[in-house]
Amino acid sequence: MTKVLVPSVCPYCGAGCGFFIAVEKECATGIEYMPDHPVSEGALCSKGNAALEIIYHPERLTSPLKRKGEGFSRISWEEAIDLVARAFGEAVKKHGPGSIALLSSSKCSNEENYLIEKLARLLGSPNVDNCARLCHAPSVVGLNRTLGAAGMTNPIPDIANSKCIFIIGSNLAENHPVLSRWIHRAKDAGAVVIVADPRMTHTSWMADVFLQLKPGTDVALLNGMAHVIIKEGLVDRDYIAQRTRGFEALAESVKDYPPEKVAEITGVPAGDIVRAARAYAISPASSILYSMGITQHSTGTDNVQAVSNLALICGHLGKPGTGVMPLRGQNNVQGACDMGALAEFYPGYKKADDPETIKYFSSAWGVESLPLGPGLTAIQMIDAAATGEIKAMYIVGEDPANSDPCSQNVHSALNNLDFLVVQDIFMTATAQLADVVLPAAVWAEKEGSFTNTERRVQWSCKALDPPGAALSDLEIVCLIGKSLGLDFDYPDAAMVLAEINRTVPQYGGITWERLGKAGLIWPCPSNDHPGTPILHSSGFRLAEGRASIVPVPYRPAAEDVSWDYPLILTTGRVAVHHNAGSMTRRSPSLMEREPDLYVEINTADAVRLKVADGDEVTITTPRGETEAHARLTDSVKRGVVFMPFHFPGTNILTTEVTDPEARIPEFKVSACKISRRD
Amino acid sequence: MPVYIDISRCIGCRSCEVACQRVHGGSGHINVHFVGDSASIPIFCHHCEEANCTVACFTGALHKEGERTAFDVDKCTGCGLCKLACPFGVVWTNKIAHKCDLCEGRDAPACVTTCPANALSTDFELASRRARSRAARAAAYGGRR
Repeated sequence: MTKVLVPSVCPYCGAGCGFFIAVEKECATGIEYMPDHPVSEGALCSKGNAALEIIYHPERLTSPLKRKGEGFSRISWEEAIDLVARAFGEAVKKHGPGSIALLSSSKCSNEENYLIEKLARLLGSPNVDNCARLCHAPSVVGLNRTLGAAGMTNPIPDIANSKCIFIIGSNLAENHPVLSRWIHRAKDAGAVVIVADPRMTHTSWMADVFLQLKPGTDVALLNGMAHVIIKEGLVDRDYIAQRTRGFEALAESVKDYPPEKVAEITGVPAGDIVRAARAYAISPASSILYSMGITQHSTGTDNVQAVSNLALICGHLGKPGTGVMPLRGQNNVQGACDMGALAEFYPGYKKADDPETIKYFSSAWGVESLPLGPGLTAIQMIDAAATGEIKAMYIVGEDPANSDPCSQNVHSALNNLDFLVVQDIFMTATAQLADVVLPAAVWAEKEGSFTNTERRVQWSCKALDPPGAALSDLEIVCLIGKSLGLDFDYPDAAMVLAEINRTVPQYGGITWERLGKAGLIWPCPSNDHPGTPILHSSGFRLAEGRASIVPVPYRPAAEDVSWDYPLILTTGRVAVHHNAGSMTRRSPSLMEREPDLYVEINTADAVRLKVADGDEVTITTPRGETEAHARLTDSVKRGVVFMPFHFPGTNILTTEVTDPEARIPEFKVSACKISRRD
Repeated sequence: MPVYIDISRCIGCRSCEVACQRVHGGSGHINVHFVGDSASIPIFCHHCEEANCTVACFTGALHKEGERTAFDVDKCTGCGLCKLACPFGVVWTNKIAHKCDLCEGRDAPACVTTCPANALSTDFELASRRARSRAARAAAYGGRR
């Protein structure tokens, strides 16, 4: 019996850890670690260790399905593709190309995202987006404006070179566990770690300074730190003069944020704000790591800009150990954005509302016209489905019925569509609402390139064949494209990557041949370019090569506590689950560790609510109500409760209010009330 | 070589638990315990020099082999005395005894390689070397900056 080790990239978070899948007799029999992987060095978190459990799960979709009354019946691929092509063709003919929308997936490879983006545009629809909208849309908007590029500025292993690591709104110890090895390495070399979070998370265990702020007050905290840094003269004057614009306006605007006032808004002691600000500013190399705690707010774009302001006034960019690091949540959310699966961009972040972009891609794709953007974002698509503006939708590997805020409205909106096709590996809550369901392959059953959070493009090899009639997303998209009369003749992923090399400048030199063990970090414009691990080392890709410092006033979150809803609900992740949970909730070894939805309540609040540990409680917001087990803890402050969003109940509660620019919903702050169920 | 823990590094991600379970056919030998809201500690076999479980084991199924506390499945009667004898609660019985075998046959125990935070190692001195290095830097820089 021969055992083959197939190199693979983990399908869960954006860290992009590598491992080998051991294959015997065309069956995945185990995982072997990859000690020479540049990011993970052989390590894998609990989700990575359990990754193979979903491959052979009995609930895998193995045949195309068609709605038949309340249930589904199996159909052939020919019939399925014909149904999809006819429905989309009709919608375009009857109601115009703006009546169709495509939701691409940050779980799919770069090649697949590129083709889904291309399919939408060639059909004439500007409406294509992916779930980056729900995680890092504010980073894309905010960092493109301030720094001229939206990715992590420095690679993950470079965190070890940092002398001060400021983690705000990220529970990376649970959500990107391998990053903690690099943080500990920095700590052993004398780095100070500052963590700002409304919860005392596992990440806060690493902190030297812990700032437990009230949810939604991040801008106030960051402005307060900027106030201290400017007032005490700890700014990098040369850097500000040579590399930035807009400092004076910031200096003026943060005058209103003395630590004492910020302490009142955020609940963080003034002394800690000063300590954190000094530590960040005077260290020779400081980095900021952030995630959803910064972005999932109605002030998400402001939060991101406040983060980048801090880095810019201290000159902590463009050198080893520095940087602004948005940590991405899914294995290819960076790549999905790079490939243009976003309403406002074509591939390579070419602005969809720019006629130059249209000209460029019209000639690259050999077509006469392309739709001018921006199209509808993921959340707007759902609204448009509800009003009947969108008639047909194609959802690939996403579960908006679980992952969008106020999820009961999503159900009725999707039901309102004339035609919904969902392509996934399991029968998700969204797939239940579909007219046609297409069975897709998991990561191990296909090949392609994936871009992790540090912009590292890695090739993941095919280890197995998909079950039953399931096909890779690439094959399915090509079948649909061809039956709609488009030239979608791509025999494999490498062929698509070759086209990406020609059309996306950042990926110009990231050819299939060069994607060896360690991958390549974009921008990599040509075949002899080594890749660019550290961005902004020689200026910014903005006017005059200068970054923008944008003053941001503090705005409170959209919802605040009231007499009826006296508690603030914030949401997040736990170590053993991933996003909407359609994969991890089917993984036995993860489910046995975290089987149910729970709500963390401060012990003092629990006494007042007469709730004991383990009690069943009802959580109610103006949107709806959910049941969960109470977990009493002192890791959340009084007045704040926490729920993980991996279970269907949580997003029944969350608010639909979005950031005005990035259109990300405010998942992190909802007013709620809790009562014990008797 | 037994596995050692640098408690200051454990982030409570439970990767070691899932990895151990994975390589031992579904039953793991390492358990992460949470102490309030402020710490997590993996609990596993110490491979004690004078191991109570080997003293209690009257058939010699559990016995010392150099540093390891080894287990000979053929001699195990499943009596459960080892479980009673272990002061750390890391030997358990389900028909036969189960305990950490240091992943015999692998280059390193799975929990050590998989640990994202480098909290587990087979180097007894590692945790104290790290602490000394931090102390030296603190002294040189006059404390935390």
